[in-house]
Amino acid sequence: MQNSDDLDRINRFKNGDTAAFGEIVLAYQDKIYNLCRYMLGNAHDAEDAAQDVFLKAYQALPRFQPDASLYTWLYRIAANTCLDYRKKPVFASLFGDSGEGERLVHDRASDAPSPEQLYHSKQIGRELQISLGKLSPKLRAIIVLKEIEELSYEEIAEILAISMGTVKSRIARAREELQKSMQKFREQNP
Amino acid sequence: MSCPKTELISAYLDEEVRSGDRAALENHLPGCAQCEAALLDMRSLRSAFAKTDRHQAPYGFTTRVMARTAELKSPSPHPLPSGERIKVRGWFIPFSIRFAEAAVLLMVIFVGIMAGSFMTNGSSMAQTANLASSLSLDLFDAAPPGSLGGAYLAMTEASNEK
Repeated sequence: MQNSDDLDRINRFKNGDTAAFGEIVLAYQDKIYNLCRYMLGNAHDAEDAAQDVFLKAYQALPRFQPDASLYTWLYRIAANTCLDYRKKPVFASLFGDSGEGERLVHDRASDAPSPEQLYHSKQIGRELQISLGKLSPKLRAIIVLKEIEELSYEEIAEILAISMGTVKSRIARAREELQKSMQKFREQNP
Repeated sequence: MSCPKTELISAYLDEEVRSGDRAALENHLPGCAQCEAALLDMRSLRSAFAKTDRHQAPYGFTTRVMARTAELKSPSPHPLPSGERIKVRGWFIPFSIRFAEAAVLLMVIFVGIMAGSFMTNGSSMAQTANLASSLSLDLFDAAPPGSLGGAYLAMTEASNEK
């Protein structure tokens, strides 16, 4: 299932129009950056990895088969790039601090929250982000694809090249570990 | 129905359960505090995710990516496995070039050490003088024949004698 804009961009790119690739980057940069940001935990690594994702896509796009959708293909490159990204202790610099030039959006932003609500949601966000950092990269990838990117099990299975059964069991495990870790965090930081 | 695995409750939250399983679970849930609590915990985790920040790519991201694509050769026509694990950066410098770089670096260090010991070693002052004279520009005329430089030097010498 291919989005018609994407199909047009892919065809133009295959015919030598490199500007069409710029349109692809512009269309998907936020999604890919956000995934990298959650996977790697800081703005600097996220930008570095997200740039690599698009460079890999640029090189591989001539051989891309349009029967797969472009965004799942890009997510797949992004997930692999982040899983392979420098094997160093991630989250040394915690999420939370937004990097220079980085922009934040609250996807499901409600009406202007009160300072108390804001403080409360910041607290929850912090708990969650610290707990996410403690998950294994594989579990982190799957729960971010589910809860942040809101993808279906089928899409996640395609992106991570795993079976639907594995998607189901890993998501359940990621939830369980996150809940335990957040609970522990609350007990230690009352 | 006995208590289902958390896996099923988790899939139920994601609406990824077959209709038969869903009906059985919906019958079971209201009478089972444990399973209800598990579902509630998963829902509150979901609402925590909903409250966390979404990050947008920094300003100028596309421009930076396009600048990097311009540095690459045109996309390779050779088949590679579905776009993954392609080395993007030039980490792989041929060994011969690395060797040449190392050799040049060693030479620079060696010359530096020699120059250092040469300049700090007091006993070799005579050698230094010899070297200085051999390196001096005495071989060349201060003022090439026919140039105005000769006249100028003659004038300055004359004025010095006065």
